[in-house]
Amino acid sequence: MNAVSTEPWVRRALLGLLVLVVLAPLFGWAAGTVGYAEPLENAAEETGAADAASQLNAGVLPDYSVPGLGSSLGTAVSAAVGTGLTLAVCLGLGRLLAQ
Amino acid sequence: MHIPDGFLDPWIAGLFWLGSGVAIGLAVRRARGELGDERTPLLGIVAAAVFAAQMLNWPIPGGTSAHFVGGAFAGILLGPYLGILAMTSVVTIQALVFGDGGIIALGGNLFAMAVVDVLVGYALFRAFRGVNETGAAFLAGWGAITVSALVVGVGVGLSSAFAYEVGVTVSIMGVGHAVLGLIEGAITAAVYGYVASARPDLVLGRFQESALSPEVGL
Repeated sequence: MNAVSTEPWVRRALLGLLVLVVLAPLFGWAAGTVGYAEPLENAAEETGAADAASQLNAGVLPDYSVPGLGSSLGTAVSAAVGTGLTLAVCLGLGRLLAQ
Repeated sequence: MHIPDGFLDPWIAGLFWLGSGVAIGLAVRRARGELGDERTPLLGIVAAAVFAAQMLNWPIPGGTSAHFVGGAFAGILLGPYLGILAMTSVVTIQALVFGDGGIIALGGNLFAMAVVDVLVGYALFRAFRGVNETGAAFLAGWGAITVSALVVGVGVGLSSAFAYEVGVTVSIMGVGHAVLGLIEGAITAAVYGYVASARPDLVLGRFQESALSPEVGL
């Protein structure tokens, strides 16, 4: 991680990630107010498949929320955890495959 | 376009797992020679940026909305093999940690977003970057998401839950994402333009000469 954090472009990129994470609750709120529907959901409505969706695994942070936390705060925590976890997994994977 | 469990018939889910498994396995093998001190952090940052960007749902009043998917973006910046690995990490974490996309359907989501989106985006960028680089990045983002949506449309349309109405699902997915894909293309082109001017050496998809036919994985 040392070599990573000293590179100027890496520091700028990490700052960019932070901005995206901070924006997540804002976008979540805005999408909620206009009613968010993806084409796949529309196709499911159209063909009567909507009820067929089943949840086998809700996840630790179901639908990017933290059980017990407010929706904006939950989204912010989910964005931070998910972004950090993705970064860590890919750095680990990269190291592993580079060997 | 994350497919939840219950939407796909088992044989279709199985085929998707097979297709994505083969492509990801190939990507892992090829990626071994490509990673190093500079590329490993780039892999991590592109994947993390795609995860964060996917959380930003575009609020489009009164209609259909979506979010940035980013497979083409990852393919252009990282090349096809690292691009597939980056998107595989994102889509798998979304399914396991956040319940976004099913577990049985994970093969389908990986095939659409981590394989087709990356390879089609990369192929389109490579094919048209000689004409205009920014235009090629836009076309890659738009075209790749539209083709991925068509793949999902076919997959769910051949399933019993969707009453085998493949014509309906393909047209809704195709038209919906072809329109929303304009935003995907614009973001892909804008961020590509920024990275290419600030640090052109980091755009790995530019240099990779490994011939890759867009039919791979399709």
